[in-house]
Amino acid sequence: MGFNKNSVEKYFSQLLLLGILLVLVCFLSWKSPFFLTWKNWRNILDTISVQLLLALGMNFVIATGGIDLSQGSNVCLTGIIMAICLKANFSVWSAIVIGILVAAFLGIFNGLIIEKIKITPFIVTLGTSSLYRGLAIIITGGMPIYSFPTAFTFWGKGESTQLNPPIIIACIVLILAVFLMHKTKWGQYSMAIGGNEEALRRVGVNVGFYKVSYYLASALMAGLAGLIITARLNAAEPTAGMGMELDAVTAVVMGGSLMRGGKANISGTFIACLLLGVIKNGLVILSISSYYQQFIIGFLLLSAVVLAEVRQRGQIRF
Amino acid sequence: MKKRIIALLLVLALVTVSGVGCGQTQSETPGEAPEVESANTEGSVEQKEELQVNPKVKEAEKVLMSQLEPLPELKKDVKIGALVISLTNPFWVGMKEAYEAAAAELGITVEVFAGSTEGDKQAQLDALDAMVVKDYDAIILSPIEPFNLQPGILRANENGIPIINLGPGVDVASLEERGGYLDGRIAVDFVEQGRKVAEDMLKYMKGSKKVAIIQGIIGAGQSEGRTQGAKEVFEATEGVELVSIQPADWDRNKAYSVAQDLIQAHPDLNGIFACNDVMALAAAEALEAEGKLDEVVIYGVDFTEEAREAIKAGRMSGSIAYPCSVYAKAALILAAKVAEGQKVQPVYAPLEVVNVDNVHEFEGWK
Repeated sequence: MGFNKNSVEKYFSQLLLLGILLVLVCFLSWKSPFFLTWKNWRNILDTISVQLLLALGMNFVIATGGIDLSQGSNVCLTGIIMAICLKANFSVWSAIVIGILVAAFLGIFNGLIIEKIKITPFIVTLGTSSLYRGLAIIITGGMPIYSFPTAFTFWGKGESTQLNPPIIIACIVLILAVFLMHKTKWGQYSMAIGGNEEALRRVGVNVGFYKVSYYLASALMAGLAGLIITARLNAAEPTAGMGMELDAVTAVVMGGSLMRGGKANISGTFIACLLLGVIKNGLVILSISSYYQQFIIGFLLLSAVVLAEVRQRGQIRF
Repeated sequence: MKKRIIALLLVLALVTVSGVGCGQTQSETPGEAPEVESANTEGSVEQKEELQVNPKVKEAEKVLMSQLEPLPELKKDVKIGALVISLTNPFWVGMKEAYEAAAAELGITVEVFAGSTEGDKQAQLDALDAMVVKDYDAIILSPIEPFNLQPGILRANENGIPIINLGPGVDVASLEERGGYLDGRIAVDFVEQGRKVAEDMLKYMKGSKKVAIIQGIIGAGQSEGRTQGAKEVFEATEGVELVSIQPADWDRNKAYSVAQDLIQAHPDLNGIFACNDVMALAAAEALEAEGKLDEVVIYGVDFTEEAREAIKAGRMSGSIAYPCSVYAKAALILAAKVAEGQKVQPVYAPLEVVNVDNVHEFEGWK
């Protein structure tokens, strides 16, 4: 096993995405004078912050070979809980803390069912996704809850020309995620569980505890995302966050993490989010109808995955 | 083994605890979400006390009722089923309440159903299929898009249950090709909505006259119709430039990003027409964050409670209103008529443009 070969393989997805991103950035800045402005980039970062947070949480879960389909519903329910607290005249801080605690609770609930009853994460989180969404609809009666104090909406907006809370939160979490994934036992175990769970159990690691903690992490990210979109839109509604979990999976897989677990790629996830954000932004900047958006995203996702897979097979000589 | 049982018990306990937790949140809701609740009760009070009804609503009711002559005699045992699009959209939640209020007023029975989400066409058809095997005297339906309910309508035709189409239209040509038919129709002219909004917007746009449209789901009748109408007016008016048409799938968060990007690409943008109020409200939030709210005229459609407040506060510039209460009542009367075997003509609902100058006339509009 050559180390060099391994490191090329390790960074292949990132390099590929970075290449596409560079081409796209060159093209867009040539086409529009507005593209390469700080304001526009702040916009792109603002837009991707939510997807990035969810994808980072999802990355740890996917590294174990699991998946968390309840993220989107969790985003929605967390936002609604915060909204209800605010309407009941709770302080902004306590509303946020209660919302995040609820999110954490939902994540632990996911993790416990998966670990203790041994049901596939796909099925469990598919079920809880519907459960949490249903709760959100029942609680609100289908109507949005809107209009919050500025101390709360601050968390989604901030000054238009400067780094705002969503971007700062996403950056901190990104750095934290890189550190946790690659420098701590906690992160390494997530990939080890995806690689060979049984082996890890045999050496006496409390796999169950760790597994639940990854679903907790994923849910905490959903909680933060819920805070951001509720504050940003100044409204919490039962349809919020729909499909966000799949956007997160897209970014994770496109970034080079394996769906079957064992290999996770935080920087790849970040580049994938950035690329998706630039594509969406670019379409509007160029006034191209987003009829093409779905197609382009699907095409990129498939190409990135197929290329990475073909390369890997070549290496391990299937 | 023992460990497993303990774990199982733990999870069961968790489920129960979470269940109890939910129960509490639910029961607390009425007190804790005062705006939502008060809006609802306001509406139902006005339904009962004729005196408080907004004169504009009465006017609209007259226009609709005159089209419904001669009125049927309403028997107590008339039972009507209504199928709306989704109970996660404030407009349709309002419509459900309006149906129930109107049925109470007319002394007949109505049961309201919906698909699970706004995008789930199959779920809405499933709901219709379930309704067709029940004993309704007539069914009023509002499809997600022109085609998704057609198989259900064919089954209703076979079972002899009259079908009324309210709001978003069923594609009649293809329905007839398949041997089906509608028994009545209350139509909203979406193209006309788009036109009216665009004309009103032009009056309020004082700057560059650059406009953009934010659409709903591509292919949805409301979205395409409104876009088409607005586009016609913008393109026919000299000096107005339609710079972009972008879909945001009726989604608040998507509309926010689209509006953000639009203002970057066109810093001198002067107007945004969003195909519903939810997206218009999101655009207002985005422009406020950019400090451009004063320079851009934002219109939506539906005139929801939230939009009314935004127009009053000057955050949105206008919307299109069509009164749910009158709609629902007219639909029920029409349904009762066809249930009696009367033939009916399509009925058109009146539309009103609401803007910053006339919003005070729309107090108590429902």
